[in-house]
Amino acid sequence: MIVSLKAWIDRNLKGDPMIWGIVIMLSIISILVVYSATGSLAYKYTGGNTEKYLLDHSMMVFAGLFVMWAAHKIPYKWFGLIGRLLLMASIPLLVITFIFGSTVNEANRWLTIPFINKAFQPSDIAKLALIATLASLLAKRQKNIDELKKSFLPMILVIGFICMLIGLANMSTALLLLFTCLLLMFIGRVPMKYIFMFILFGGLFISASVLLGQRGSTFYGRIDRFISGSEVPFQAEQSFIAISTGGITGKGPGKSEQRNTLPHPYSDFIYAIIIEEYGLVGGATVLFLYLALLYRGMRIVASSTKPFGGLLSAGLSFALVLQAMVNMGVAVGLGPITGLPLPLLSMGGTSLIFTGFSLGIILSVSRGDHADEIENIGEGNKPRRAFQAA
Amino acid sequence: MNIKRSIVLRVRIAFLVVFLIAGAIFYKVVHLQFVEGEKWAAKAESLNFQYRQVSATRGNIYAADGSLLATSLPFYRVVLDPVVAKENIFHSGIDSLSYLLSSYYKDRSAASYKKLISDARTRGKRYVILNRKQIGYQDMQKMSKWPVFRNGRMGGGVIFEKVEKRYRPFNSLASRTVGFVNEDRYGAGIEYSFNDYLEGRNGQALFQRIAGGSWKPVFDAEDVKPDDGYDVLTTLDVNIQDVAESALLKQLINKDAEFGTVIVMEVETGHIKALANLQKNKSGRGYGENYNFAIGDQGLTEPGSTFKLLSMLALLEEGQVSLNDVVDTGNGVFQFYDRKMTDAKTGGYGKITVKEVFEKSSNIGISKLVSQSFGHSPSKFVSYIEKVGLNKPMDFQLKGEGAPYFKNPGDRDWYGTTLPWMSIGYESKLTPIHTLMLYNAVANNGKMVKPMIVQAVAKGNHVKKSYQTEVIRKKIASEKSIKLLQELLEGVVKNGTAKNVHNEQYRIAGKTGTAQKLEDGRYTKKYYTSFVGYFPADNPKYSAIVVIDSPKGFNAYGGDISAPVFKDIADKIHAQDLKLNKRTPTDIYMAQKDVDFPYIQAGKFDELQLICNKLGLSNHSDGISDGYVKSRALDKSIQWQANQVESPVVPDVSGMPLRDALYVLENKGLRVIYQGKGRVKNQSIVPGSPIQQNHVINLILG
Repeated sequence: MIVSLKAWIDRNLKGDPMIWGIVIMLSIISILVVYSATGSLAYKYTGGNTEKYLLDHSMMVFAGLFVMWAAHKIPYKWFGLIGRLLLMASIPLLVITFIFGSTVNEANRWLTIPFINKAFQPSDIAKLALIATLASLLAKRQKNIDELKKSFLPMILVIGFICMLIGLANMSTALLLLFTCLLLMFIGRVPMKYIFMFILFGGLFISASVLLGQRGSTFYGRIDRFISGSEVPFQAEQSFIAISTGGITGKGPGKSEQRNTLPHPYSDFIYAIIIEEYGLVGGATVLFLYLALLYRGMRIVASSTKPFGGLLSAGLSFALVLQAMVNMGVAVGLGPITGLPLPLLSMGGTSLIFTGFSLGIILSVSRGDHADEIENIGEGNKPRRAFQAA
Repeated sequence: MNIKRSIVLRVRIAFLVVFLIAGAIFYKVVHLQFVEGEKWAAKAESLNFQYRQVSATRGNIYAADGSLLATSLPFYRVVLDPVVAKENIFHSGIDSLSYLLSSYYKDRSAASYKKLISDARTRGKRYVILNRKQIGYQDMQKMSKWPVFRNGRMGGGVIFEKVEKRYRPFNSLASRTVGFVNEDRYGAGIEYSFNDYLEGRNGQALFQRIAGGSWKPVFDAEDVKPDDGYDVLTTLDVNIQDVAESALLKQLINKDAEFGTVIVMEVETGHIKALANLQKNKSGRGYGENYNFAIGDQGLTEPGSTFKLLSMLALLEEGQVSLNDVVDTGNGVFQFYDRKMTDAKTGGYGKITVKEVFEKSSNIGISKLVSQSFGHSPSKFVSYIEKVGLNKPMDFQLKGEGAPYFKNPGDRDWYGTTLPWMSIGYESKLTPIHTLMLYNAVANNGKMVKPMIVQAVAKGNHVKKSYQTEVIRKKIASEKSIKLLQELLEGVVKNGTAKNVHNEQYRIAGKTGTAQKLEDGRYTKKYYTSFVGYFPADNPKYSAIVVIDSPKGFNAYGGDISAPVFKDIADKIHAQDLKLNKRTPTDIYMAQKDVDFPYIQAGKFDELQLICNKLGLSNHSDGISDGYVKSRALDKSIQWQANQVESPVVPDVSGMPLRDALYVLENKGLRVIYQGKGRVKNQSIVPGSPIQQNHVINLILG
């Protein structure tokens, strides 16, 4: 039984086994915590049918894992092209969503897919596509990365345009994406002087899209309130109570009290609920899992044979983990409230699919056997061999 | 490889940055737990949050024509969170706001309001009830335009707390039928029976407890939006209900009776058009709708003679009796085993035909016939009750229907006397609505339909559920038997116990009932009088039952007490219903001298002409073919005179209905203010004056 399971895993789950392990652990935590955190939601909306959210969320988690599995089957060299196509598709989608999309909290972020009736955020697609595209642009220009016109300007135009479109409805996502791109450009050896120019440029268009967009006042309000620190916002206050009453080992699974008063306990503030229920230990474990995920993503950079694979893996890993850090940072009060979900953990419906997709891409790069130059096997394959031998 | 080494190095730097962030997060968690822990724990104690219900608006109850029988009106309590408003908004608005509050509530001065609000603002009080008085929706709308208030809950801090009140535009009309629901969700009538639809689904919102035990909503919108209740469309007719109630009340007062019930039903559909219940108030003065005797348990009684219809039905269906057979009812007293049965007429009816037995309601006659036919197999008689579907509750739309009670041969309390007494409506129990259902089936040529009072449940244009007429039995008896029963019921009014309601205009068919009341196991001198029937007998449109319990006075028979109420109601319905009333009312109106010409005074020519022609009023126009006219009564006809409303002067609108007057005047650019109801009696600007745009013209209606 165990032998056959191991054989099945060997045959089907290729790529870095550590990443598989981390993702599966986070998925299990996610189902547990979301089930607990949606208690009041289920009570309110479905007349006490708490299983509805459990089933819906579990379905999405498994769908995300399936997409991850499917994506890791695709040779990563295709993701440059796929990314570019998705990026082009995402432009009209973002515009349509901004104009016609459904409104949650006064901003149009969601677009409902006809027939299957699932809402998704086109910004999720755009984020993924932009990182893949940027990785490809950077990889192709490694030889002449210092040139302003040939290398830097095309990239900055693409990034600026997409971030602005996203920023119209969702400033936090746009800012985070911008920062991730910045980091990726730094990793991709773009000279620092350009990056500082980039920051200047970015500052300009953020201001522009905040002024033009729907959420300008909310955005500035949040920043203003956070910096002035005069009054702790309601959500933060509730989150702090959750964290501080959690203690070292927590109140126990399903025993959260703050989930009843904390808004969005299953997404924006899920980290506070994790600490409340599983304590400092649980909170540290989750932090560690994200760092480990990033570490494995970084190892792939070292082991990958071509700059594109490394940059792709680095970009996606950092995008995911940075968002996780921002979400957790908000929950503990290190930053203003953003409304970004915790990737892999939050109940986010279709977001989980896109998270799964980016993890699949990372895994695809980590497989090594997908690289077109087989002869140049780096040190990164060692853990895989060890795993196979075990 | 230089490039790769550089990339790997940079990734490591970036990882280090993220690692530091993670460290900061961990540090902050530790800090929150161990340094600020007590502070937040204390805060958790002091903040008292709770999800509280946000009530859904209860659905309306409508009469068949759309008149409102019950509705929920929102009222508001005005509360202010004075800290919310920004400095500039607050300072520029506070003076005028205080002034407006003062002049609206008239309970304290503007300065006092200003002090109240400003003090609360300085002290950081988040919840100030400006006034406990509840204001209406219109006033709330007006108030939300006031300074500070107009910035809304988030900008100005105003909170309009909604309180719903149930309102009945027709007051006590059909009040028991409309019913009520109390806080324990128990009640009566439609409000209770259809509560699941009416109440909707309450929403929820997060509230914070504040000093003084009040709850303040934390966010602007509800977390779970309340789902408003569905409206219930009944079959009740407000006019018929009104007629039924007033006719019943009159007789109850007249006879000082205990309680009375009227049900009026449409024969074909089973739609209940009126359902009135009046009971002497506990104080002994006046009558009120306290219990639904027509349907409920307390309305279950021995039906008395009205049940003889079923005995006749059974006899006729058995085919052993014809209407002209002669029965010897003897001297009015007949001994069945150990019990004496008597007839109403002292000395008895002697030898009479079966038809006369029914018309005169001879107890002896009916029970003798039934004993002859069914004495050897009483269960056969009982099977007829089952055959017409009277033995079980009908599952009426209102909750609390009394279940019919009948004995069965073989039961321990089935005696030799049971069958004869059962045949005349004793030793069994029915509610008025069950009895009416049987008579309605006879009126409906044998088709028994289930009485119904709710047609549809809907929200806006969306019909959630619509109720169709339910057929309980396609045919309760043969065509021949039904015809004979109809003949018998007409005979009761023509020749029998209800002769007093016979009239020339239209025919009534029905049966009287007078049951002695059983109290503590003994029959008393109190009576339960009823009349149940239908009209017009040749083509029945409505069936109805009138029950009056324990009337005082000499003649305590159904024919004398209940039948006149039936006729009163039938007369009014007949007069109102143009379809029923084939005679034109011309001769009635014209017969009166000195015609106070009925309402038609002025209006549009084509409309008025149409009405007059329909009613058969002779009218002449002298060449007018359209436009507005005024009327003049000439001899026995009406003369139309053109009313020049098109000319550029103030037109004469007197006599016009408000709708026409508004149209005419506003087209001229005048602004209309009106008072009263009905047609225009007076206008404030003399007809023929020049028009000045936007001038106000006052109309008095009457």
